[in-house]
Amino acid sequence: MQIVNILADLNISYTFSHSTHLVICLLDLVLLFYFAWQGFKHKQNRVTFLAFTQIVLYGAFLYLSPRFQGVDLLSDELSKIMYFVINIVGGSIVLYALTYINSEPFEKAKKFSFIAILIFFLGVMNLIVTANNIELFFFLFELTTLCSYLLIRYREDDVAIENALRALWMNQVGGVAILLALITSVVYYNTIYFDQLLEVLDPHFLLPVVFLVIAAYVKGASFPFHNWLLGAMVAPTPVSAILHSATMVKIAPFIVLKLSPSFSPLLSTTIAMFGAFVFVGASLMALNRDFFKEILGLSTIALLSLMISLAALGSEQAREAALILLVFHAISKALLFLQAGILEKIYHLKNISEIDTLTNRAPRTLFFILIGFASLTLPPFGAFVSKFLAIEALTKSMLKTPVEVFVLLSLIIGSVLLVILYFKIITKLLSTRAFTQASKEKLPLLYKISSNILFTALVLGVFLLNFLSTLEVLIPLVLIFLIPVLLKRMDFKDAPRVKEYNCGEKGVFEVGMFNYTLNKKYLKSMIYLSVVFMAWHLVVGVL
Amino acid sequence: MVEFVLIFLAPVFGGLLHGLQRVLSARMQNRQGPPLLQPFYDMYKLIDKRAFIIHPMHIVWALLHFISLWVVVGLLILGQNLLYVIFIHLLASIFLILAGFSVRSVYSHLGANRELLAMLAYEPIYILMATGFYILNGTYDVGLIRQEDTQILSMFFLFLAFLITMPLKLKRSPFDACEAHQEIVGGVEIEYSGIYFEFLYMAKWLEYVFVYLLLLLFGGNSIVLGSILFVGVFLLINLVDNSTARVNMAQTLKIIMWLGLSLSLINILGLSYV
Repeated sequence: MQIVNILADLNISYTFSHSTHLVICLLDLVLLFYFAWQGFKHKQNRVTFLAFTQIVLYGAFLYLSPRFQGVDLLSDELSKIMYFVINIVGGSIVLYALTYINSEPFEKAKKFSFIAILIFFLGVMNLIVTANNIELFFFLFELTTLCSYLLIRYREDDVAIENALRALWMNQVGGVAILLALITSVVYYNTIYFDQLLEVLDPHFLLPVVFLVIAAYVKGASFPFHNWLLGAMVAPTPVSAILHSATMVKIAPFIVLKLSPSFSPLLSTTIAMFGAFVFVGASLMALNRDFFKEILGLSTIALLSLMISLAALGSEQAREAALILLVFHAISKALLFLQAGILEKIYHLKNISEIDTLTNRAPRTLFFILIGFASLTLPPFGAFVSKFLAIEALTKSMLKTPVEVFVLLSLIIGSVLLVILYFKIITKLLSTRAFTQASKEKLPLLYKISSNILFTALVLGVFLLNFLSTLEVLIPLVLIFLIPVLLKRMDFKDAPRVKEYNCGEKGVFEVGMFNYTLNKKYLKSMIYLSVVFMAWHLVVGVL
Repeated sequence: MVEFVLIFLAPVFGGLLHGLQRVLSARMQNRQGPPLLQPFYDMYKLIDKRAFIIHPMHIVWALLHFISLWVVVGLLILGQNLLYVIFIHLLASIFLILAGFSVRSVYSHLGANRELLAMLAYEPIYILMATGFYILNGTYDVGLIRQEDTQILSMFFLFLAFLITMPLKLKRSPFDACEAHQEIVGGVEIEYSGIYFEFLYMAKWLEYVFVYLLLLLFGGNSIVLGSILFVGVFLLINLVDNSTARVNMAQTLKIIMWLGLSLSLINILGLSYV
């Protein structure tokens, strides 16, 4: 992507001194003991158990590992793109949070700590995409777990604490997986550095890579770990926004993108198939949800799996598709979550079934929601470009591995399902009564600024991708921007107005939405299947 | 240059096709039927009528639907990227759906919801069809596909799958639940009148042109095969329309998803093995 050229001169390559290493080790242990203590305090045996497992594994790793020579921090093209996502998208969310948190009933110090944790989180994310040392990566991974734990439990009611603890233990599974990756990597390959590991990797023993991928699944809230991300909805909305777009979940496709050059054909097909499966599964699950943020959450899970799936395919085009989806998904989701927060704070709407007459009250918010959804599905936005590339890449790779036709099929069906999901929500948003007038919407300044930054990034970003010709980009953009223009130009002052036709019936029409509920049986078997898939990953790792 | 004239005249061709279909349908039922130019007489009448509107947004969506469909047809005639054209067509369909959702009318909402579900049925098949062309011709470029020899035998199942979706797109029986006249009084169309309805009506003509242009792609560079396909399918669609009853939306989805998708899938799998 062209955007990287701006940071062409930024080349980080840094090695920590021995004492810094020691400090990191120490901090790591403190962190793990903190988790154990939290588990103990809230009587959550899973948390405690996983924390102690990690302590033991970490001890084993420290015992095993002699001193290694390598670079601790290393930036490459991938991490440069991540800097953009983390800082621009994350930054605008922090801007938004400044106003948002003021409307919460907390003490001043607690409000400040909220903003502080958000910014710390962004800092950790910047480091994690630069980390080359897997041990450092583990430490930062645990730090993101800590941040998410603190943010989810921010409201400190029962539900918040319960969900935070669930997020904690699930993410610790990821921590265990990374430690196992570290240990296998030390034992078999005698290195703890990503760059060295990728060079010496033997395609018949990919366990370190597989463990890292499993850690990615945990962060990306793939099945069967999807519940932690859905539970995170109890936190203030900026938290969801930041978890879903710029931070945390984006570690998942990031790791897979980083590791995918080393995948054996079988492993890459496995991951691609699993991602495709979760993509369709999560989209199906979202079709019967009512809570706006939950719908967005499930669509995040779906799209993340798609990114993972594409990243795993390994061809240059598929990687590119995954990257574009990663960037633009972050922008779109942040924009949508910010609007969800506005709906919640200003219009007191949480569920889509309650939404009504929004066109008249909140035209600006509605416009951003529409653009948010459109940017995840329609040309010329990034998500479309990504799918476009992905279809082309899959058509090529299918010729080598015909099984991947199912990835293509899932990509297509899942995308259409998401279109249906998004436009089902728009059903509720758009319907306007006859004989009503729109009023101007008043919003706090920072809400407007943050949304506008993201919106601008969305539109400008389209021009930075040079996969479509200018004409191909301009046609749909013009069509979309014709909406406000036509609305302004054509006021229909002279046209006589009528009420809606109702076949002469008097009843009031309540707008409904169609609903598709997946059978519980299927849901369960989907989760079981995903566990089987996980086990299969391990088998593939040693084949 | 010829292309631009063709693009300019596309709605006229669509209108003629629509008229021809009505004549043919009437003859199949042993009726005299309307004259060939009836759609244009309708147009004349509609423009003359007083147009009632519900709210401006509603009208804007319909206009955009019409404009974007015209663009889609234009891109197809100019020989652009097939996959891209299919996605722009998705955008056009979305405009229609938004039009349906933007008013508080039972029938309009029903129609739009069905339109949305219909998309779930035909969109995957279109995309798979495009990939089929890509595998065989090595390009998505419509202009290039038209210059290659016909591949209809290698992608016969895909062709069949495409045939199944045609009644859905053309709103013909058995898959015309989207606008089902007697049942939901035209679906999205119901809330439009006068000249604004005319735009929606013309959009339908353009939809005809779009679908038949896609059909012609199967003919490759052979004009003879193209005309045979066109005439044959045109007759077939009308025959099926006259001889079958409407199925409901759930059945439509089931039939097209299962039958159409498995046919396309088998074909694609076959293509990638060979």
